Amino acid sequence: PPPANAGRVPGPPDGGWGWVVVFGAFISIGFAYAFPKGIAIFFKEIQDFFGTSYSEIAWVSSIMLATTYGAGPISSILVNRYGSRPVVILGGLLCGIGMVSAAFCTSILQLYICVGFITGFGLALNLQPSVIIIGKYFLKRRPIANGLAMAGSPVMLCTLAPLNQFLFDNFGWRGSFLILGAILLNCCVAGALFRPIGAATAPVKTQATEEGKDALKEEVTKDAMEMSSPMNITMETKTEEEGGKGCCEKVNQYLDFSLFKHRGFLIYLIGNVLMFLGFFAPIVFLAPYAKHIGIDEYSAAFLLSILAIVDMIARPTTGIIANSKWVRPRIQYFFSFSIAFNGACHLLCPLASGYTGLVVYSIFFGLAFGMVCAMLFETLMDLVGAARFTSAVGLVTIAECCTILLGPPIGGTLIDTFGDYKYMFIKCGAVMVLAGTFLFIMNYYNYHTVAKEEKERKAKEEDPKSVRTENEGRNNWNKETAQDGPELEPLREEREGLKKEVNGT
Amino acid sequence: GVSGTSVEKNITLDRATRIELSCRLDNKYSHLKSLQVTWKRGNETIRHINKTENSWSIQLRILDNSNLGGYSCTLKGEEETSAMFHLQPKIEGKEKPIVSYEGDTAVMICKSFDYTPIAWTWYMTNGSEQIAINDSLLADKYVINRLSANVTHLKILKLTKEDDGVYWCEAAFELGKSKGKLKLRVLSLMVPLKPFLAIVAEVVILVTIVFLYEMYSKKKEKLA
Repeated sequence: PPPANAGRVPGPPDGGWGWVVVFGAFISIGFAYAFPKGIAIFFKEIQDFFGTSYSEIAWVSSIMLATTYGAGPISSILVNRYGSRPVVILGGLLCGIGMVSAAFCTSILQLYICVGFITGFGLALNLQPSVIIIGKYFLKRRPIANGLAMAGSPVMLCTLAPLNQFLFDNFGWRGSFLILGAILLNCCVAGALFRPIGAATAPVKTQATEEGKDALKEEVTKDAMEMSSPMNITMETKTEEEGGKGCCEKVNQYLDFSLFKHRGFLIYLIGNVLMFLGFFAPIVFLAPYAKHIGIDEYSAAFLLSILAIVDMIARPTTGIIANSKWVRPRIQYFFSFSIAFNGACHLLCPLASGYTGLVVYSIFFGLAFGMVCAMLFETLMDLVGAARFTSAVGLVTIAECCTILLGPPIGGTLIDTFGDYKYMFIKCGAVMVLAGTFLFIMNYYNYHTVAKEEKERKAKEEDPKSVRTENEGRNNWNKETAQDGPELEPLREEREGLKKEVNGT
Repeated sequence: GVSGTSVEKNITLDRATRIELSCRLDNKYSHLKSLQVTWKRGNETIRHINKTENSWSIQLRILDNSNLGGYSCTLKGEEETSAMFHLQPKIEGKEKPIVSYEGDTAVMICKSFDYTPIAWTWYMTNGSEQIAINDSLLADKYVINRLSANVTHLKILKLTKEDDGVYWCEAAFELGKSKGKLKLRVLSLMVPLKPFLAIVAEVVILVTIVFLYEMYSKKKEKLA
């Protein structure tokens, strides 16, 4: 057998250039989440200009949000094929083109297209690859990296809001859109920083495959298994290519639909889709609720600022906590806890009286919101592994798209029907507590089953022959993930490292 | 009250009305024997209709602009309380200037709070003069719409630099007029273009630096 180091590609660096990538992801993710919210400042003026109603203008935001989430699978397919960097650069260009053309719009329909679709699509091409590339660059420190990158959202929002106001006062809405288009081009800079990682060329793979088979004996988690599978797979793929590929397999090559058979993925999907039903509505209605109970406009806006600031601090902090050796193996429980905590905040909100009560609520809400967001993608990576994460994130975002869009309008209907905000808070709180509990129970079951499966696998590993067949069988539905683009990396040391981490030793 | 200082009160009206004003003395002055209280408008004395032990009232009919103004109640020799009648329904224009571009359209909106005007007129300031805007005369330049009872809407098409300046929307009420102010700034397209190009240049430079650095470090790796 070839010497241990020959042809082995280094695993995730967990540092070095990785931190630069985190910075790029910070900018990219920040724009993707903060931009749709920041643009609301222009709506009043545009509404007057085109003489439309408020709801027609609000569609611009909704279309943008829907496109950003709905175009997730397309983003995933592109990243699977070309890698993160070209996709983010393309995304940045699209955003820029979208906003610049929006500056010359003469009807509200054109605004829907330019700001809603084109810019929304560009942001989708920014969001997914940024999250994906963190998984490629980090393993041991992944929760911290995720927490830091996701902190981009509140920071960008706090920056964009006054910036947008300044641009609007000086340049009107058309000039502002023009300049915002240029600012969005900075996503291209972020994309340029996403250096592709891993020199996974075919000869290297074949060599590594030998070791891959040996190394299989040391597998412990599903996670690690996913990462190592590409090595075996390449052997399979070669034989497969001779046999010719079926249509399903071709599709699977670009977007891994077999994820729907993955237990962890399904748990995550159901839990998150449920959670998003109550996630955003409280933010949308916090300021109106404050005004409703008699607080003046500026103090109401200040509540949102408090929320954003606490959020900003909570995200990296949660990343650090989630990375600690006590939490990391049980990160799914931590995630479920933060969702339930979020729900509890909403349920207690109607009890808050007066401004001080609302300030306390904002602080806790900011904390809970930051915790959930910081771990949103980390937990998915933890469940499906970095290799399949690309497809997983696309499928998850398109499923979440519906509930994200439904959440605030349902809340609005509740408020209009009952004339009281408390039912909206109760609904959001209840949904999130339910989602948190569901995730907690299901992940407990999942952790158990995974541990059982490993025991079985270890028992079988005594017989090397059955290792090969066992893995061939198991990997048949994984094989196309080998076409992961230029960012593939086998991870022998990392698997060992992960084994230690996961076992909490 | 009566305490040696002058008191003034403003009352806002929007339409013709009958109103009663009364002046009341604090109890501590009721010991004064001969109290002479007069209601005056300017120099003209108005007879008071009602008199009770320590209050003097007059009744006024405010029919038009000429009845508006200041009415005062004087205690002989001492101080003066006056009531001023102002027509002051608030008209809202915009505090911050509206920014628009040459060749574009500008929309200016004026709102009246609480009271419904009879008519709206728009004025443009030319130097120190105010010129009324006639939208039937210049129909392809100005469009005036009354969106609702309390809101008026001026659309200026095909903006040029000359349209830059202060505009007034005047609401006519039964008893007078009230104005709101709006400022229009017309910019040329070059104005936002400069920051735009500056930022695009910055992006291009940064991307080039990143790629050059990458090529450089790859070369270093190969040599090492």
